[in-house]
Parts: sequence; structure tokens; C-alpha cells
Amino acid sequence: MIVEQVQVRNQAGLHTRPASMIVREAARFSSDFFISKDGYEINGKSIIGVMTLAAEQGATLTLTFEGEDEVDAAKAIVKIFEEGFGEEL
Amino acid sequence: MRQESTYADSFESKKERIYDGLGVSRGIAIGPAYLYARDELHIDQHQIDDSEIDEEVSRFKRAVTRSLKELGKITAVAQEKLGSQSAGIFEAQSLMLKDETFLTSVEERIRNSHNNASFAIQSFISVSRSRMEASGSEYFQERANDLLDVQDRLIRNLHRGKLLSAIEPNSIVISSNLTAADIILFSRRNILGCATDFGGPTSHVSLMARGLGVPAVINIKKVTKNIETGDFVVLDGFNGRLIVNPSERTLTGYRRLQERYQELLENEKALVPLASETLDGECILLYSNLEFQEEVDLVGKYGAHGIGLFRTEFLFLMNGFHDYDEEAQYQTYKEIVSSISPKVTTFRLLDLGGDKMLPMSHREHNPFLGWRGIRILLDKPELLRPQLKALLRATVDGPLRILVPMVSHLKEIEQFKRILEEVKDEFRAKEIPFDEDVPIGIMVEVPAVAIMANRFAEEVDFFSIGTNDLTQYMLAVDRGNNMVADLYQELSPSMLSIIKLTVEAAERKGIPVSICGELASNPLATAVLIGLGVKELSASPTFLPEIKRVVRSVRRSEAELLAKEVLQIFDAEVRRKKLMKWIRNHAPDYYAFLCESEGSSAET
Repeated sequence: MIVEQVQVRNQAGLHTRPASMIVREAARFSSDFFISKDGYEINGKSIIGVMTLAAEQGATLTLTFEGEDEVDAAKAIVKIFEEGFGEEL
Repeated sequence: MRQESTYADSFESKKERIYDGLGVSRGIAIGPAYLYARDELHIDQHQIDDSEIDEEVSRFKRAVTRSLKELGKITAVAQEKLGSQSAGIFEAQSLMLKDETFLTSVEERIRNSHNNASFAIQSFISVSRSRMEASGSEYFQERANDLLDVQDRLIRNLHRGKLLSAIEPNSIVISSNLTAADIILFSRRNILGCATDFGGPTSHVSLMARGLGVPAVINIKKVTKNIETGDFVVLDGFNGRLIVNPSERTLTGYRRLQERYQELLENEKALVPLASETLDGECILLYSNLEFQEEVDLVGKYGAHGIGLFRTEFLFLMNGFHDYDEEAQYQTYKEIVSSISPKVTTFRLLDLGGDKMLPMSHREHNPFLGWRGIRILLDKPELLRPQLKALLRATVDGPLRILVPMVSHLKEIEQFKRILEEVKDEFRAKEIPFDEDVPIGIMVEVPAVAIMANRFAEEVDFFSIGTNDLTQYMLAVDRGNNMVADLYQELSPSMLSIIKLTVEAAERKGIPVSICGELASNPLATAVLIGLGVKELSASPTFLPEIKRVVRSVRRSEAELLAKEVLQIFDAEVRRKKLMKWIRNHAPDYYAFLCESEGSSAET
């Protein structure tokens, strides 16, 4: 199991488009993927779940990966968070 | 009769309530109301039996598939028209419908808690929504609406096929809004009439209701909030009213009017085979305005000379913009043309914009002065070319004319003709047969074109005057705006002058001109139009017999005199009285009916 802490860097927060990006990216891997914020945890492969996080700019999230390709999955997901989903920071 | 009086007696104790709206399809309907909840989908909660579980789960899955298909189409249109940014919202909604967590949870609720599908969907979505709404972020509170959209779409699809059977036959359907597809569906259940909270007089619902002869009143604000299924109502399509719990007196008046109108319609049937000729033997050609293939039979039924205006927008909407390619269009055009041949069909090219069917997120400050009609087609050859090709191919199946919408500049016609020529060249090269002389016409609906009709007439083979838009542009009045609606006067001297100018210009150049706006279906205006030199009218088919009745009571010299007089009348009320008087003198039985329909509303 891999646990990573990330910050939401883009201005607009985890709105519809970034949420779609996360879910699409996560779907490429077989590992389980969870995101938690302030003790509320959701399945990172569920777009509805990701949106219910209502994570705005600056929010800290904990990402948990577990499965065969957890290393690659963690790397890929953390990367899109760091790039701010290609949006204005 | 016995049953009717029982109806009235049982409602005697209840107070009569009147709601005013806009009458868009004539006739009187009397009967029980049926509340059709289209927008606010009612979600019921019930337990299902073990034996129903599998069916409920597959019903849910079918609804998901259908919803995804719908969203796919919407995404494609949005992508094409507005770019990927806007389309992203719909893509996200598609992702929500593929969300495993969501799908599994709903299925589990159905299987383990024996919830019905709608309730299971709503339970999941409402938890997610409340989380987003509680977030304190305005943005996420708003995004909760995306979830609501998904839920509505799913539940609507869950009930598809069930809604129809839920509608009581022989009732008056009340709804916040209706689509043209709804009306078609209802007409199969013999509904008596329909009334809505919203809608416009030229909306497709109104056109459809008129075509099918179903009385309709729209724009009755909040009618759905004030009425219940089973309430006994009178729907007055003449005066745009809905009366709940009518008093004995009201009811008697309306029953009389209903009978009178029925008689009128019967008399009109007798008019169908008669020639559309003035008393001095001049032929006035009466054409139909249509927009559905299903309506084509009406051309013969009401004795039209052909189709003066076939609006193609709805064909695209019904078939889906993406699936409705050249081949599919050709099939439709061919069927229509060959079924009414040797009568002519006039197809108007796709007329988007204004108030019509641009994707909801494409907003302009001033859509009526914006990107619409030929302006869009010239910018989007991928829309124009396939339609032109399909139409050209259909020219071999029967007489067909092509009508170009919303022309305002000469340059647009030149550009259009260049593209048409290119398509023809391609056909010649490939040896695809088509009619080399297919007539090309333009809508005259912008004053700039009407004033220069002389010049425009040199470029095209026919004119069609669209009086609805022409009136709006000419008088600078948005007819949908209640503050100024009384200024919308299709028979004002300015309008009559510009129609006269256009008709005379066409006459000089020897090209036909028809009137295809609502003015053409107003029997009060018929004599005046003939007096201005109009020889072709195109209206919704159900109006044609009535128009013919007036045509057959006119003499050209009298009509010219009338037109001359009305051209001097600036007061709408005075004008109306003048025209009523004219009808009284020339078509007394029709006049009696007109008075009766007005009298009924005065009484109530």
C-alpha cells in the first residue's frame, strides 16, 4: 500500500474537469485507489465521489493506492495533481 | 347529457377559477385535467417483490444505456458547435453514468433493500448532493445541479414507454412544458387539449398542436401549481383561457361555442374540394406549412396546392444532428416529395438560431440579431452541403424548391449560389441525376431585403415573406415580451406597405411570392393581402378551409379598395373593427362564429 499527501494547486479546485481527469487516469490501473479529506474517504475511481470531496484550491488530500500496479498508479495520479490538471495555478 | 349535468352538479359547490394564457391552437376542450409532470419528475418510493428484482435491475440498466446514448448525441453537438470546453460538462455527466460506485450501489439497493429503481437512484444522488451543498463552496453547490441533471435524465428514461400509458385518454393534459414529441405521443391517446406554464406562439408545440387540431393554451404561468389531476376544466383555445370548476353558466356558453365550432369545421370539410377562387375567378394558391413527415397527409386532407414551407429543423432534431447525414436526409426528402407529387414541396434549409435550437450553452445577447439562418449555414458548410446534396438528389423524385432562411445581404445569396454551383458540378462530374432548374428562393423576413426586393428578385426564383420575423424586425418588437406585445401588429400600415413593395417587385420581375407567416392564417387579413396583390398563401393546413372561405367571398376590386383603406389606419382597434365589419358583410356565417368565440370570453 502506498499513501501520498497532495495539495490541490489549481485555482478552480477539483471541479468537473479535473475530477474527470483523475477518474480516467485511475481507471488505467487495476489498483484500488481512495482519496480522503478531513476524515471523509471516497473511491478515487468514482467521479461522483471525487466531486463530493468539494476540494478547493489549497485543500490537502490523502491518496491511498493498493494493488499490483500501485507504484505506477501513485506516480501517475500524483503527477496530475502536481501539474494542477493543466489549469491556471 | 345526463352524465354532463352530473359533472356540473358535483362541482357546483367549488368556485370557478380562471387562468389566462396564450391561445395557440383553436377549439374548446371540456373534461377532466390530467397533470403531466414532465420537468418535475415524481419519484415514488415502494418496495418491490423478490420476483420483480431482476426486471427492476435490467430496467435500471436500460435507462443507463439510453441516457448514455442521449448524452453522447448532446456531447457531439456541443463539441461541434461550442468546442471541447462546453462539451466537457456533458462528458462528465457520461462519466457519472459509468461510475461503478454509483451503479453498484443502486443495484445493491434494488437487490438487498428491495427499493424501486427511481428511489434507489435518488437515495444515492441525494447523499452526494447534500455533501456538495454542505461544502460551503459556491462552485460545488452549483455543481450539485449536474448530479440532479443526471438523476432526472435517468428517471425520465426509466419511465419511458410508461408515461404514455399513464395518460388518461380523453383528458386535458396540463404540464409545465411540452415538447413536440410529447404532443405527437398524446394525440395517439386522444387527448382533448393541452395547457402549459411556458412556451411561445411559434414554438414547435404550438405548431404541432395546430397541425393536429388539438386545442392548446400556453404560457399560463404556474397553471401546474394550481390544478390537480381530475379537476374538471374548460380549455378555451380561442381566447387562451383555462377555467377550473366552470359554473353552470360558463359551461353552457362553452358547450354552445364548441358545437358552433364543430359545425364550422364540418362546413369547412365541404370547402376542401372547392376551388380557391375569388368571386371574379382569380385563383389564390393555398399551400401548407409543415415540419413533420407525419403531417404530409394533411396536404391532401385540407386541399392544399402543395407545401409552401417545410421547416427542416425538426427533422434534424428528431433524427439527431449527427445521424442525420446526407443519405438519411435524402430518404426523408424523397419520401415527402414523391408522396405529394405532382404538387410542389418547398424545403427551407436548416434555420437555426434566433430562438431555435442552438445548444443551450450557446448564448448571445441578441440572438434575433445574431448568428442564425443562412449566416450559420455559410459558416458551417458541413451542415449546408449534405443538405443541398440530399435535396438535389430528391429533385428527380418530384417537384421541389429550395428556400434559404434569414437572408439579409446580397452577398449571402452570391455565396450560397456559388456553393450550390460547386455541388451541382460535383453531381455533373459523377453523373448523379438532378433537376438543373431547381428553383431557389429566399425568405423575406428582414426589412433590408424587402426594401430592396427589386434587386433581390433578380437573384432568385421566388420569395416567401415570413411575416412573424418581418414584423419583429420592422416594428422593433419582441412579441414574447409582454411589456411591448401590443405593439406587435402584423397589419400595421408599415407592414402592409412593405408587403406591398415586395409583392410588386416580385410581380415586375415575374417571380412568385407567397406569405408564409402567421398572417397568412388569419382570415381577417386574407382580403387585405389579396388587395395588396398577394396570390399565394402558406399556412398550417387546418387553417386553409377557413382562408378559402374568405377567398371565395372576395372580389379583387373590393379587396384593393379595402387594402387601400386599411393602409391608412394606424389604430389597431379601429383596424380590427373595420376588418370585422368587412367579414360581416362578405361572410356572414363565419362572422357569427367569430363573434360567438369572442362573446364567450366576455361572459366569463
